[in-house]
Amino acid sequence: MRMGYQELIVELLLMPLVAFIVGMFMVLMMRKVAAKLQRRIGPPLLQPLYDIVKLHSKTTQISHGLIHDIGIVMAVGGYIAAETLLPVPGMNGIAEKGGLITLLYVMMIPSLGLALGVGQCANPNGSIGISRALTAMLAYDIPFVIVMFGVAWHFGTTNLVELISIQQAGGISTWGAVQMPLLALAGLFALQGMLGKQPFEIYVAPAEIATGPMVEMGGKYLGGLFVMQCFQLYTASVLYVTLFLGGGENWLFLLVKAFGVLLIPFTVAFLFPRFRTEDLVRLMWKWPVLLGLIGLAFISAR
Amino acid sequence: MNALDLLLSASLGTALIAFIFSRFLMGRMLLTMLYAVQLVILFQIAPASVVVSEMTFQIWDHTLRWQFDGISWFFALITIGSAFFVSWFASGEYGKRFETDTGSSRLLHVGLGLNVFSMLLLLASGDLLSLFLGWELVSWSGVLLMVLGGTDSRAAAVRYVTYAITAGMAVFFGIILLYTWTGSLAFEQIISASTSFSPAQLWLLTALLIGGFSIKMGLMPFHLWQAPAYALTAGPAMAFLGAISARMGLFAIILVLVKMISLQQLIELYIFADFFSARDLLAWIAAITIILPTYTALRQTDARLLLAWHGIGQGGYMMLGILMMDRMGSAGGLMHVFNYAIYQAALIMSVVAIIHRTGTADLNKLGGLVTRMPLTFVVMLIGIIGLAGLPPMSGFVSKWMIYRSVLNEGMPLIFLATVIGTLGTILSVYKLIHNSFLGQLRVEHHKVAEAPWSMMIPMLLLSAIVFVTGVMPGLVLEYVALVQQAMGISTVNFHLGGIDSSGSSISGDLDMIWVVIVLFSGFAIGALLFLSSGKSRRVNQLDNYAGGHFLTARNQYHYSDNFYAGLMHQIRPWYRGSFKWLEESVISITTSLGGLFKSFFHQPWTANWLLAGSTLIMIWLVL
Amino acid sequence: MKDFPVPVETAEQKKGGNIFTNVFDELIRFAQSRSLFMLHYCTGCGAIELPPAMTSRFDMERLGIQPMVTPRQADILLITGYVSVKTLKRVILTYEQMGSPKYVIGICSCTVNGGMYWQSYATAKKLNDYMPVDLYIAGCMPRPEAVISGLRQLMEKIKSDQANGWQDYYKRYDYYLGNQQRLFGDNWQTPTDVIGEAEHYGLTGPETEGKHTALLQQHQRPLEPLEMRLDPAKVKEGR
Repeated sequence: MRMGYQELIVELLLMPLVAFIVGMFMVLMMRKVAAKLQRRIGPPLLQPLYDIVKLHSKTTQISHGLIHDIGIVMAVGGYIAAETLLPVPGMNGIAEKGGLITLLYVMMIPSLGLALGVGQCANPNGSIGISRALTAMLAYDIPFVIVMFGVAWHFGTTNLVELISIQQAGGISTWGAVQMPLLALAGLFALQGMLGKQPFEIYVAPAEIATGPMVEMGGKYLGGLFVMQCFQLYTASVLYVTLFLGGGENWLFLLVKAFGVLLIPFTVAFLFPRFRTEDLVRLMWKWPVLLGLIGLAFISAR
Repeated sequence: MNALDLLLSASLGTALIAFIFSRFLMGRMLLTMLYAVQLVILFQIAPASVVVSEMTFQIWDHTLRWQFDGISWFFALITIGSAFFVSWFASGEYGKRFETDTGSSRLLHVGLGLNVFSMLLLLASGDLLSLFLGWELVSWSGVLLMVLGGTDSRAAAVRYVTYAITAGMAVFFGIILLYTWTGSLAFEQIISASTSFSPAQLWLLTALLIGGFSIKMGLMPFHLWQAPAYALTAGPAMAFLGAISARMGLFAIILVLVKMISLQQLIELYIFADFFSARDLLAWIAAITIILPTYTALRQTDARLLLAWHGIGQGGYMMLGILMMDRMGSAGGLMHVFNYAIYQAALIMSVVAIIHRTGTADLNKLGGLVTRMPLTFVVMLIGIIGLAGLPPMSGFVSKWMIYRSVLNEGMPLIFLATVIGTLGTILSVYKLIHNSFLGQLRVEHHKVAEAPWSMMIPMLLLSAIVFVTGVMPGLVLEYVALVQQAMGISTVNFHLGGIDSSGSSISGDLDMIWVVIVLFSGFAIGALLFLSSGKSRRVNQLDNYAGGHFLTARNQYHYSDNFYAGLMHQIRPWYRGSFKWLEESVISITTSLGGLFKSFFHQPWTANWLLAGSTLIMIWLVL
Repeated sequence: MKDFPVPVETAEQKKGGNIFTNVFDELIRFAQSRSLFMLHYCTGCGAIELPPAMTSRFDMERLGIQPMVTPRQADILLITGYVSVKTLKRVILTYEQMGSPKYVIGICSCTVNGGMYWQSYATAKKLNDYMPVDLYIAGCMPRPEAVISGLRQLMEKIKSDQANGWQDYYKRYDYYLGNQQRLFGDNWQTPTDVIGEAEHYGLTGPETEGKHTALLQQHQRPLEPLEMRLDPAKVKEGR
C-alpha cells in the first residue's frame, strides 16, 4: 500500500505519542486497581504525568558511563520504533513492512538496551535483576511463541493489518478469542509475564535486590524507564487485542478492549505474592504451553 | 588456464608462500594480500554459470573432474573472505607475539592456506571420487589448525581425528554402495538412477552419506568433538574454523540432496505410515541440535567454549533451512551460513583481542572492560545482536526466513524449537558481553589498552558488513538466489531491503530498510528527549548503591558466576551427560573389542588392523 | 540553641525573567510537589509509623508519595528516630547519593535535640549540623496523622520554592564537612565527590571550600569516573 511520505512521517510521530498518553492512563489504572483491591483511594488522575515530569526535571543525576546513557536511549527509542509496527485505527505506520515476528523481535531491543545500560552500572543487584528478567523472558516467550504460531497459521498471515481486517470482516465469530479459546488463555499467561506483574515480577523484587535493573537509575534515567513502562503496557495490550479481539474498529472500541484486557493481569497481580525464578520458569513451561499445544492440535485438526 | 584453475593454483601458491615467509611481518602482510587476490579471481568467475576446470585425472574408466557452480561459488566466497580477514587479524602485533610465544606461526599460516586450498578443491568437486578426495583433504587439513593451542588442543584434535576418520569411512562406504548400485561415479547418472532405489537402499545411503557429512557439521549426536577442538586452539585458527570449517559438511549434504538423492525422495521415505518421514527425522535432529548445544553454551565459563558451542547450535538452523527446501527456507539457511561466518569471526576476534590484552578468557575473571576497550565492545555488541538474530543485524533476516518457512510448512514444534534456540542464544550472549565488558572493572585491568589497529580494523570491517547486510539483505540474497538456481529450486522473492512473501502459503513481508530507518529515528527521538532533560554527571564505579556500605576497590562488587542461577536450578538436573555417556560407551566397546583382538591375535595396533580389514572388505564389494 | 539561618530564595525574590520561565517553573514545582518518592530507609524506631501511613488507613499514595528503594531513585530522606554515630555515617553516604532536588525530614524528637538519648555518647544530637533538614516532625513517635500533616507541609514548601536545603549543602559544604569531621575523625570521606558535583552543576558558593575540605583532599582516594579511552598512556593523571 503506497502512501505519501508526509503521511508516513506524521504517523511515525503520532503513533508513539498516542501510545505514551494511553500508556500513562494504563499506568494510572494499574495503580487505581491496586488501591481498590487494598481498600485505599490511590493516586489522583494525572499522577503518572507528575511522576514523569518530576523525574525529568531533576537537577542532578548520575551516570555510570556512555553505555548507561545509550542503554536508556535504546530502551525508550526501541519502544518508540516498535509502536509504528503496531497498527491502530486510522494509522498503519510500517506495520506491513514487518509483521508479527518483526514486532516481537523489535520489542526485544529495548530490553537489550536496558540490559546493557544496567550492566555498566556495575551493581550486582542490577545484574541479578537483568539475569532474572532474561530468564523470565525465556519463560513467557515459549507460550507466547506457540500462541503466535497458532494465530499466524490459523489466519494465514503474519501481517497485522491483514489479521485485523480478517477479524473485522467476519464479526465477533471470527475473532481469535472465539475461534481459538485455548490459545487466548495461554496468551493471557504470557501477557502476565510480558508485563512483568506479580507473580512474575521477580526481576524487580524491590526489597530483595533493590529493584534490580532500576538500582542505579535516577532522574531522567528513571524517567525514561517510567516512559518505557507506559509503552510496554500499551504495546502488550494492543497486541493482544489485535491477535484475539479483532483489533479496534475505531479508537473507542480499541481503548475499551485494551483497558479491559489489562484489567485481568492487574487484578491477578495484586492478589498474588511473587514466584521464585525457577518456579516461574516451571509454571510458564507447564500450563500455558500445554494449553497452547492442545489449542494448536485443535487448529491443525480443522 | 581458466579462472577456476587460476584460483586453485593461487590458493596452493599462497600455502607455499606461507611456508616460506610467514615468520616475518612483511610475509604475513603479503599473505593477506594474496587472499585478497584470490577473492578478486573468484569474482572473475561468474556465479551463475558452471565453470569446468581444465584439470582432469583418469582412473580406470572414470574421469575425475572439478567444476564450480553457484553453490560452490557462494561457499568459496565465504571461505576466502574468512581467510582474508583472519590472516589480516593474525598478521600484525598478534602475529609478532604469537611467533615469540609459540614459534608456530608457520604452522598457523600454512594450515590456513592449505585449509583454503582443500576447501576449494572440495567445493569444486565434479564427481563422487573428487568429492571424497576433497573431503579427506579438508578433514586432514583441519587438524593442522587444531593443534596450535598446547596439550589440551592436541587432545581435542585427536578426538576430532577419530570422528573425522569415522566420517570418512562412512562416506567412503556410501560412495562404494552408490557405485555398485548405479555403476557410475558421476552425478548425472546417479541422480537418474537413484529414483529407482528401494527404501532400504535409501535409508542406508542417508545414514552413511548424510550421517558421515553431518559428523563434520556437528549435528547431534556427533557434536561432542567440535567445541573443544575449535575453542582450545589459537585465536585466529579458531576464528577460521568456527566461521566456515563445519559448513563444508553442509555443502556436502547439499550436494547429496541435489545431485545424489533428491530431497523429494526423502520426504516420501516414511518411517511410520504417512506420518513421519526421513525428512522429518532430519529436521528433528536439526531442531535438537539448535536447542541442546545452545543451552550447553549457556553454562560455559570460558568465552571461547561458549562461542564454539553456539557454532554447533547455529549449524542446526542452516540444516533446517536446507531441509525445508522451499523458497524462503533454503534462502534462509544459505544466508545464515554467510551471516554466521561473519559474526562468528567478529566475535571470536573480539574474544581473542581480550585474551591478547588481559591474558584470560575466563568469564569469571573479567569485567568492566568497556571503558578500556570500547571499540572491541562495539564489535562484540554487533556480533551478539547478529548471533541472537535481532534487528537490525543480518542474523535477523536469515532467521526470519527460516521461521517463515517452518510456518509455511506448518510445523509448530520445530518453530518452537527454533525460537527456543534464539532465546537461549540471547541469554547466553548477554552473559558473554556482561561478564567481559560490563560490570566492575578489576584493579588488575585498569591499565589495559585497546586492541592494536591491525586487529581492530578487520573486526570493525566485519561488524560493518554485519550491519550493512542487515539493512540491505538484498546484497547477499542476490548470490543466494543464484545458489538456489543452481540447486534447481525456485528463488526467493527479494528486493534490496527485504523479502516479499507472494507465493508462500502464509503472507507477510519484511522490509529491513524501513525497519532500520524507523528504529534509528526512534533512537534519535529518544536521544532528543534524553538530552533535553538536565545534564548528568559521570561517577566512579565505587559510588554505587550497596545498602549504605562503603565500597572499596577490594570489594568484588560484580555478579558474574552462575549468572543464570534460577534457570540453571531448573535446567541442570536435565543434563545427564547422555551424549558423553554414549561416546564413552562406544569408546569402551571399541577398546574391549580391541583387547579381544589383541589377546587373540597377539598383534598391537588393533585399530590399524580393523581399518585395513574394513577397507579390504569394501574393495572386495566393489570388484 | 542558635540555628544558622538557611538562606532560601523565596518565590517573590525570583520574580524577574520572562513569564514563560516563571510559569514553566511553577508547573514543574507543582509536579515535584505532587510526586514525591521517599527512601524506604528506616533509620530508627520511628520507622514503625511509616507502614500505617503507607497502607490502607492513611494512604500516602493519594498524595503522590510512594516508597522507593535506592537513594538514586528517591527524593525524600526520612530520618525516623535517633541517629547513632554509626548510622549517621551511612545516612550521610545515602544523602549524598541522592539526586537533587532532595529533601530531608527529621521525624521524632531525637533528630531535633537528641530526644530521649540527649545524654548518650553514641548518638548525634542535632541533625541540622550534619545535613540540611527541610522539616522536623516532633513527637516520640509522631502518629501517622502527624507524619502526613508534615508531608503536606513539605509539599506546600516545595510548591512555593522554599524547600531548598539541598542547595545549602553544596553552598556551605565546608561547614557541614567540618561538623562531620568533628564527629567521625579527620579521615572521614564518602564515595561521592560533592565539590566536583557542585562545580559540574554550578551550585558552588563562597563557603563550599575551606579548611575542612582541604583536610579532606589530603587523604581522599581518587574519585574520578573511568573514562572510555583507547590507550592508557595517552590519558593524563587527574586529581
